[in-house]
Amino acid sequence: MANQTAGNIKLGAFVLSGLFVLILAFYLIGKNHNLFGSDFNIRVRFSNLNGLTVGNNVQFSGIQSGTVKKINMINDTTIEVTLSIDNKFTSYIHKNAVASIGTEGLMGNKIVNIVPSNLPSAQVTEDDLLIAQKKISTDEMLQTLSKTNNNVAVISEALKGTVLKVNGSTFMALLNDKNVSGNLLASLQNLNKASANAIKITNGIDDLIVGIKNGKGAAGVLLRDTIAAGNLQAAISSIRKASDNADSLTWQLNNLARTVNGHLNSGNGSLPMILKDSAFAKDLRATMYNLRQGTDGFNKNMEALKHNFLFRGYFKSQEKAQRKQQAVQSQ
Amino acid sequence: MAFTKNIKAFLNDTGDIAGFAGQFFSTGIKPRFEVLELLNQCYIIGYKSLPLIGLTGFIMGLVLTMQLRPSLVAYGVESQLPVMVGIAIVREIGPVITALIFAGKIASSIGAELGSMKVTEQIDAMEVSGTNPFKYLVATRTVATTLMLPVLTVLGDAIALFGAYIGVNIRSATSFYLFFIQVFRSLSFGDVLPAFFKTFFFGFAVGIVGCYKGYTSSKGTRGVGSSANSAVVLSSVVIFFIDLLAVQLTDLLGLN
Amino acid sequence: MKTQTATENNVIVIEKLCKHFGDHTVLQDFALSVKKEENVVVLGKSGSGKSVLIKCIIGLLKPDSGNIKVFGQNVPDMSHEVLDQVRARIGFLFQGNALYDSMTVRENLEFPLRRHWIAASQNEVEALVMEALENVGLAHTVDLMPEELSGGMLKRVALARTMILKPEVILYDEPTTGLDPVTAREIDKLILKLQDKYHTSSIIITHDMNCVKNTADRVALLLDGRCYAQGTYTDFEHSTDPNIHQFFE
Repeated sequence: MANQTAGNIKLGAFVLSGLFVLILAFYLIGKNHNLFGSDFNIRVRFSNLNGLTVGNNVQFSGIQSGTVKKINMINDTTIEVTLSIDNKFTSYIHKNAVASIGTEGLMGNKIVNIVPSNLPSAQVTEDDLLIAQKKISTDEMLQTLSKTNNNVAVISEALKGTVLKVNGSTFMALLNDKNVSGNLLASLQNLNKASANAIKITNGIDDLIVGIKNGKGAAGVLLRDTIAAGNLQAAISSIRKASDNADSLTWQLNNLARTVNGHLNSGNGSLPMILKDSAFAKDLRATMYNLRQGTDGFNKNMEALKHNFLFRGYFKSQEKAQRKQQAVQSQ
Repeated sequence: MAFTKNIKAFLNDTGDIAGFAGQFFSTGIKPRFEVLELLNQCYIIGYKSLPLIGLTGFIMGLVLTMQLRPSLVAYGVESQLPVMVGIAIVREIGPVITALIFAGKIASSIGAELGSMKVTEQIDAMEVSGTNPFKYLVATRTVATTLMLPVLTVLGDAIALFGAYIGVNIRSATSFYLFFIQVFRSLSFGDVLPAFFKTFFFGFAVGIVGCYKGYTSSKGTRGVGSSANSAVVLSSVVIFFIDLLAVQLTDLLGLN
Repeated sequence: MKTQTATENNVIVIEKLCKHFGDHTVLQDFALSVKKEENVVVLGKSGSGKSVLIKCIIGLLKPDSGNIKVFGQNVPDMSHEVLDQVRARIGFLFQGNALYDSMTVRENLEFPLRRHWIAASQNEVEALVMEALENVGLAHTVDLMPEELSGGMLKRVALARTMILKPEVILYDEPTTGLDPVTAREIDKLILKLQDKYHTSSIIITHDMNCVKNTADRVALLLDGRCYAQGTYTDFEHSTDPNIHQFFE
C-alpha cells in the first residue's frame, strides 16, 4: 500500500508538471496574442491591407503592443481594422498618431505600425479612429521602378544617336586633323614672338627719343629740329598703337587656344558646337593665315628699322648690354 | 490466392480492431471504473516513460537545431533558428517522435503482458473472479495511454526545446530568455492546440492496438512475442495515419 | 450407466449441451448433473473437450445450444450481473494456476475478494487471506511473488485463491497435471480436506487415474462429445469396455 501511495505521489507530480508546462505555454502564447489582461480598441481605415489578417501584431513605436482584432469591409475602397491594444499603452498613444501596414523583417508577417506624431494632441480613447498612412507596397515600388526603367531606356537611345552624330561631324574631323591643330599652335607661337619683339622695339625707341631730346650724339644735334622730332614722335606712337593692338589680339587668341584645348580634352561645351560649323573653321584658317602674313611683314619692317643708320648705334649698345647681362647670369 | 487471403486477413484484422475499439467505448468506459488500476497503469505508462521520452526529446531538439543551422546560415537567417526549431518541435516532431518512442515502449509491453496473461489463462481467471478483464486490463491501459501521452508530449516538447537551446548555444550565444521569447512569439494556438489534441489520439491508438494484440494473442511464447512485435509495428503505422488525418483536418478547419 | 434426472438436490444440471469450433464438434448432446457435496470426475483424453465443458459451466465459453443450470439458473441466458453473482459461488482452479504474475501472493488472493466486494474492511480481507493460505499450509509465502514459488506451491496458492470466496461448487481443470506423483497426491488430499471443511460440490477434470481414485464419488467419461459412461471408480475399474479400460493400462 505504501508503494502504491509513493507511486501515486510521483504520478501526481508528473501529471501536474505536464499540466504546468502546458498552461505556461498557453499563457505565454495568449499573452503574445493579448488574450489576457485588459485592453482597448482603436480603429484604422486602410484602402488595402496587403495581406494583414486577424491576429497579426501591432507595434507602437516598434514595441509589441497589441494585435489585430477584427477586419471589417466598409466599402470597396475602405477596410476598417480594429486593433486591440494593451491598456498600458493608452497614455502614450495620441489621437494624431499615424498607423501604417508594414512587414516584420524582410519577408515576415504583416504588422500594423503605430507611430506617434510630433504635434501635441489628446490621448486616444476607446474606438478612436487613427490616421492611416498609405505605405508604398513592394508592388507599387516595382511598378514605379518599371516606369523609370522605360524612361531610362528612351533617354539612352537618344543619347546613343547624338553621340553617333557628333562622331561623324566635320568638327570631329577638324579636331582629329593633326595639321590644323599643329598650324594653330605654330601661329600662336609666332604671334607671341612678334608681340614680344614689338614691345622691345617700342621700349628702345622710347629710350632713343629721350636721348635725342637731351641732344646726345650727332643724331641728337641733327634731330634737335622740333619739326623733325615731332614727326618722329608721331611715327613712333603709331608703331606703339599697332603693337598694342597686336598684344591684345595675341591675348585673345591665347585664350581662344586655351579654351579650345580645354574643350578638346573634355569634349563638351558650346565651343565645339561653334567649331562644328565648317564655314567658321574656314574663316579661322584664313584669319590664321592673315595673322601670319601680318606678323611676317611686321618682322620685316622691324628688321629694316634695325638697319637704318639712325638707329644702328642704339641697337648695338642694346646688344652689348644684353650680352653683359647674359655673362653675369651665366657666371 | 495468397494475395486475396492476405487482403481478407488484413480486413478481418482491421474490423476486429474497430470492434475492439467499439467495445472499449461501449463497455470499457462505463462504471464501475477501475480507478486504482487506472492510477497504477498511469504511473507505469506515464511516469516510468518520462526518462526515455526526456532523453530522446533532448537529443532530438539538440540534433534538429544543429542540422537546421547550416541551411539557415546559408540564407542568412540564423537568428530565426529558435523560431524554426520551435515550430518544428511543437507542431510535428515532438508529438510524433514522442508517440513513436511511446509506442515502442508501451505498445510492446502491453502486447506482451496481455498476451502472456491470455495464454496463461490469467484473463479467464480474472473473468471468473468477477472482474471484467476488458475493463480491468484494456480500458485502464487504453485510458492511461490516452491521458499520459499528451502529458509526456508536453514535457518532451519542453525538454526538446531545452535541447534546442543548448544546440543554438553550441555555435553562437543566445540567452535563455531571448530563446523562449522568440519561440513563443512565433507560436500561436493554431500551432499548439492541434498538435496537443492529436496526441490524445496517438495515445489511444497505442493503447488500443497494444491491448488488441495482447488480448487476441495466440497460444505459446511465440504468440506472445509476435503480438508484442506487431503491436509496435501496427501502432506506429496508425500513429502516422492519424498524423496524416490530423494535418488534413487542421487544414480544413483553417487552423494552419 | 443411466442418465440422472434433475432433482432439487442437484447444484449443476447440464442438458443437451452442444459446442462447435468451426467444423470441429467438441460437445454433442452432453448431459451431466452434480449433487450437493458430490465429487464428479470427468474423465477424458486430451482434446476431448473436458476444458471446454467446464469453461461453458463458468460462462467463459458460450455453448451453441443446450442448458447449463447452476443453482437452478441457466448460465447461457444470464446477464453479466447475474453471471458475476453466480461466479462468486463457483470456484475455478485453472490448469496453469493463472496466478497474476505482476502481483504478490497476498494481492492474488485479495483480488477475488475485492472484485466481489465481499469484505469491506482491511482486517476482514487480511483474515480471509491468511485463513485461505493456512488451509493450504503456505501462510509464510504471503508476500512472495508467484515466480518465487515451486510448481506444487503455485498449485496450492491457486487452490487457496479458488477457495477464498468459500464457493459452493469448485471446478478443477486438471489439478494434478504437471506435478510429480508425491505432490499430486498432496493436492488430492488437499482437495478432499477442503471439501470436507467447506462442504463443496466439485467437478474434477483429469486423465490422472490416481487422482480419480482418490477424489471421485462418481466418474463420467467424456467421449466424442457425449457422456459415454457414468459410475463409481470401482465400476470403471471392472468395466470391460475398451474405451474405459484404456485408462487403466
